[in-house]
Amino acid sequence: MKLISAQNISYRINEKMLFHNLSLEVCSGEGLHIKGRNGSGKSTLLKILLGITSVSKGLIEYKNQDLKISYLGHKNAIKNYLTPAQNLQLFFDDLSLTNAFKWLEKLDLYQVQDELTANLSFGQQKKLALIRVLAQSSELIVLDEPFVGLDKAASELLNSFFHQKLSEGTGLILTSHIQPSVECQVIELDKTNV
Amino acid sequence: MFRLIKIESSKLFYKLKSWLGPMLIMILVLTAFPLSIDISQFDLEKFYFSIIVVSLLMTSFLATEGMFEEDYEDGSLEQEYLVEKDFYKVVLSKIFVYVCFIGVPIAFIGAIFSFANGVAIGNFINVFISLSLSNLLLFNLFAFGNALSINKGAMLGILTTLPLALPVIILLGTAIRSIQYGNSFLEIISLMIGMGFLISAIMPLIISTTLKTHID
Repeated sequence: MKLISAQNISYRINEKMLFHNLSLEVCSGEGLHIKGRNGSGKSTLLKILLGITSVSKGLIEYKNQDLKISYLGHKNAIKNYLTPAQNLQLFFDDLSLTNAFKWLEKLDLYQVQDELTANLSFGQQKKLALIRVLAQSSELIVLDEPFVGLDKAASELLNSFFHQKLSEGTGLILTSHIQPSVECQVIELDKTNV
Repeated sequence: MFRLIKIESSKLFYKLKSWLGPMLIMILVLTAFPLSIDISQFDLEKFYFSIIVVSLLMTSFLATEGMFEEDYEDGSLEQEYLVEKDFYKVVLSKIFVYVCFIGVPIAFIGAIFSFANGVAIGNFINVFISLSLSNLLLFNLFAFGNALSINKGAMLGILTTLPLALPVIILLGTAIRSIQYGNSFLEIISLMIGMGFLISAIMPLIISTTLKTHID
């Protein structure tokens, strides 16, 4: 089942065409890995697919308007003045909170759950932000450089999460300079630039 | 909507600086000003309300300073956009929470100080309502200013919207005079309620569009 498709999309910023006539499609249980050098428009493409950024030309179609998407961009969307536990209480309702705390334990953050998030390391903050995606049930997962800042164990955990979600029929779109261990379609943005 | 109000309340509760700061400044100004000038109690009664009005303007200005900036910087706005598909409810709930948790207590402080400076006890509620409604209007206006210059230092935007606050100040001044002289209070307060409803419905729409332009 088609979750999201983009037809002939183009994006221009400050007279620079980031990509031109790009088409892609992600179905249930499929992964899409967007590659490209820095500044090639990977993050912008993700934001366009999510509807956060408006496309210059082309059409984006979703399975339905209520498609459940989990997203983590460059910004972690966590509050530094709260503890990890308080951050999770902000993100999740009571039903999903138990699952979120399980991920906190899996990602070795349980011991620091009552410390201020501002005092955590970059990698720990990234793990905390990832829980927003990991503990949420969604039809499509969209991640921007998810492996950045993660240690080997956390990267392996993330890869096994991708395996599990793809087998369950969830779609996956990610940008990364690190190759994920799951099978994905690959788009190289450098080759679509004008 | 309830989810958003709950989130915004929790965030504000833990950001002590955001809600306690304006209240302390309000108390400080209202206490320090009469002490700092050589003036008889008779004259102070006459113009103490002006000090309350200026303090109200200043504290609402301060309270709204980081309203959307932090959420924009840390990516929370993008996350909320994905859930809500626009910012209308986000803005509406944020302003609601700020007015309830900062605006109303500030109005209460202002009303207490006016009582302490010669306002009849029967007028306490009238002063409190006038100040609360003014805060509702001011918070909406300054929230727009904050959203306008979210990526250029939010204070700049608030400064640009400062002229829009002048009609609110004039209206509040009229309400205060009507309380002092005991005439037309209901008419003025009805006008303020009407403006409050109108601005509370329209301003989040404008702010929502402004925020979308910024994250686009």
